Amino acid sequence: MAPAGPRLIDRNDLLAVLDGATARKVTIISAPAGSGKTSLLRAWADRPDPRYRLAVVQVQRDEHDAQQFWLALLSVVRQASVPTSRVEPAVGTPEFNEQAMVDRVLSELADHRGLILVIDDLHELISPDAIAQLTRLLTNLPPHVHAVLATRHDLPLRLHQLRLAGELAEIRAADLRFSERETRELLDAAGIVLSGAAVALLHQRTEGWAAGLRLAVISLADHPDPERFVAEFSGSDRMVAEYLIAEMLERQPDDVKDLLLRTSLLARVNGELADLLTGRPGSERILLSLEDANAFVVSLDAERAWFRYHRLFADLLRLELRSTLPEEVPALHRQAAGWFIQHGQVLDAIRHTQAAGDWPGAARLLADHSFSLTLDGQAQTIQALLQAFPRGADDPELALVRAESDLVQGRLDEAAAHLAVAEKYVQAAPPDRQRRLQVAVASLKLSLARRRGNFAGVLDQAKCLDSPVGGRSDQDIALDSDLRAVALMNLGTVEAWSLGLPDAERHLREGAALARRIGRPYLEVACLAQLGFASKIRPFATARRRCQEAIALAERHGWGAEPIVAPALVTLAGVMAWTGEFDECERWLQRTKQALQTDTGPDIRLLLHLTAGILHACRGRHREALQEFSVAEHLRSQLAGSHALASQVTGWLLTTQARLGMTGEARACLAALDDDRARSGEIRNACAVICLAEGDPAAALRVVEDVLDGTAPVVGYVTVVMADLLAGLAYRQLGDQRAANQAAERALALAEADRLILPFAITGSAELLEALPRHETAHAALLADILDVLHGSSLVAGDQSSSPLTEELSPTELRVLRYLPTNLSRPEIASELSISVNTVNTHVRNIYAKLQARDRTSAVQRARELRLLSAGLTR
Amino acid sequence: MDPAPVLYAIRIQGHLGATVLSAFPALVPRHHGADTVLTGLLDRSALYGVLAEVEALGLGLLEVRQLPPHRESPESGDCRSP
Repeated sequence: MAPAGPRLIDRNDLLAVLDGATARKVTIISAPAGSGKTSLLRAWADRPDPRYRLAVVQVQRDEHDAQQFWLALLSVVRQASVPTSRVEPAVGTPEFNEQAMVDRVLSELADHRGLILVIDDLHELISPDAIAQLTRLLTNLPPHVHAVLATRHDLPLRLHQLRLAGELAEIRAADLRFSERETRELLDAAGIVLSGAAVALLHQRTEGWAAGLRLAVISLADHPDPERFVAEFSGSDRMVAEYLIAEMLERQPDDVKDLLLRTSLLARVNGELADLLTGRPGSERILLSLEDANAFVVSLDAERAWFRYHRLFADLLRLELRSTLPEEVPALHRQAAGWFIQHGQVLDAIRHTQAAGDWPGAARLLADHSFSLTLDGQAQTIQALLQAFPRGADDPELALVRAESDLVQGRLDEAAAHLAVAEKYVQAAPPDRQRRLQVAVASLKLSLARRRGNFAGVLDQAKCLDSPVGGRSDQDIALDSDLRAVALMNLGTVEAWSLGLPDAERHLREGAALARRIGRPYLEVACLAQLGFASKIRPFATARRRCQEAIALAERHGWGAEPIVAPALVTLAGVMAWTGEFDECERWLQRTKQALQTDTGPDIRLLLHLTAGILHACRGRHREALQEFSVAEHLRSQLAGSHALASQVTGWLLTTQARLGMTGEARACLAALDDDRARSGEIRNACAVICLAEGDPAAALRVVEDVLDGTAPVVGYVTVVMADLLAGLAYRQLGDQRAANQAAERALALAEADRLILPFAITGSAELLEALPRHETAHAALLADILDVLHGSSLVAGDQSSSPLTEELSPTELRVLRYLPTNLSRPEIASELSISVNTVNTHVRNIYAKLQARDRTSAVQRARELRLLSAGLTR
Repeated sequence: MDPAPVLYAIRIQGHLGATVLSAFPALVPRHHGADTVLTGLLDRSALYGVLAEVEALGLGLLEVRQLPPHRESPESGDCRSP
């Protein structure tokens, strides 16, 4: 907070009440304009208290954007923990989850040992949701954190709990009124000599109103006849503020008066801007001396470069400007807009352009910048600006902005309609704007298509992305880059979900790199998360790594529970399921569900249901699995065009139906598929499962032939593993044990690289695998792990770090450890050691934990590294 | 709730000069003693807009009163039947 001016008195009684704020949780100062709230807060903040730090936010005028408010609050809270260094301001996001944001604020507050949140001008926050969330914040403040709020009128904050507990203090207008004694002190401090009667008159006329008294002081300070001034003032019936402002202005030198009037239409002013509006140099000097002389001009930072007028003061000056120089007002606004544009402050520029009545100009500015502003998290501000445009004459440039706004709010049909209008306009637009408009339209079309899950015909939007990022100014390049990064993200996403996979990876990687270059972490996370999903067909290790990278970056910015990271969360869950880490899979599914609380479209929810179904199936809960797959299938049918997950969803559905004995329904579904879909490997496998359930292993063999010889299209090699296992089961049923063993061996070989467990778990291959002669298989460790899982124990997740043993293994654990490199299963180990299987399980769990291994193979490897298996050990 | 504009009289403390009055172009001012009464036809939204402006300028709001329609209008509703 900028320090208080020299002429304010110490209102000790009030300061004492505020000191009491450290005793109560929340203090509210509720009093009309000009009562002296801000001055009091500033005087109080000036007095250092070693026990508490201050985090001060002054709400911007007409703040419609709740996100901006919370970001400002978050930033000052962070800054308060490191007062000496500059903290990066918090980054906004296009999709705003207010609840999650307030949770973030609360968790940052929890780290503080003594903080007072000061929120001034709270009445300017025009957002109903924000008030509700603010109530939640205030009633859940951690210990040692207090709040002081200042507002012009009472707000619907439901703080009854605090009031009942005696934790709420209030300072109201009556408390802030200057007493006669304080009036005299104020006059004394300003060096004004008045008789006792005059002081009483002054006090009575102003009714102790702070703003009135301060205005009077300005006029009285160098007045030749203060007594007469007071007499005339008291004798007048005119409204106090108007009278005194007029007096004050009259007494100013012409250049000062001119400056005050002309700059009154700015929300904040600096010397350069004031010079521009007055057409004269030297404004900075004037502003500085105004601040020194009175409390109505306040600098906004320690460098005293920017200033703000007291709002009431500015409002009255503005009215005076409109009556005395009405023809100049639009020109002043235009000049201000020009300056703000040059200095990259787009929102101010748009507001002033609107105020100048230049609606087409404002529309162009908004259309050019709304994209970047939305990425900055200013979606609600843009809404407010849109609503300021007069109804009726609808500028086609605004169609683009409205389309964006609709998209952000999930109104897809309206967005499409506005986009159609914008597209028509692009042809007729002036040539210098055409390219940018084209890219913007293409980018929005991609966004819309992605949200609708409509992938067909959109891929040729990529054409306009291939042209290089041209541009005249830095700003142009920045705008183009934003558009391009979003377009790449959407294009890559669309490609990933409709099976153009190599292109998807390329575009998403390019998008992530560009986003990093232009400092858009939100887009970077979005691209990386989608890249995680697109990596599904790669070795699972790659997919896992990419997902974890995306999640780590998201968490660094506090976005670990946002919808954009959901693709990475659910893909990671899927990877865990495939490698047999069922408990981990469940955890990641939970996180995905939490992140998807705000609806983000059918495609990601489809994947969530698919993965949830797979997990149920792995655990043998086929009924629950069927439910999930049915929901997924329903979602798939709603999506237009081909879908990357289509064959998997249908395949799983059919397979589960068969496993539940519903072969009739399964056959019916199968028959309803068109030839293209029926040819896919996943459907073939499902058909084989149906045949096996119907007791026809020969038919099953025939069906999977295409998959095994590579002619059937497959999503990934895992389908081939499944096919091998199904063939093995079929051979077993036909009595051909040798062929069964060969098929099982093939499956193991394919699964070795990624250590896949799931295919074996799903196909009920326990007997098939157990029939494999142990000494004939080259995949002993994997086999043993699979059998462990099939018999109920879940693999423990762990990282692959190679730190030394944290805790010694007990003698019994060592005994068990020495059996791990063999092919013996756990029940067999138990019988060798004459202990129960449960005991073996416990020992194995401990061994894995102590060796930081996640499966038998890595445990054996670690044990070898640590030389725990040496033959010399006799314990 | 009546959506049509209605005649309101808003009493403010003190005499309002030309500058402050310019903030209320839709209202007609009259001095009543030491106060100013602003009268005009306002629907609900306009009324609350005016009240917000009154708050913003720190004016002393004394009274807000809805006036009966003018006696000249035939729908006056008072039963002065012949």
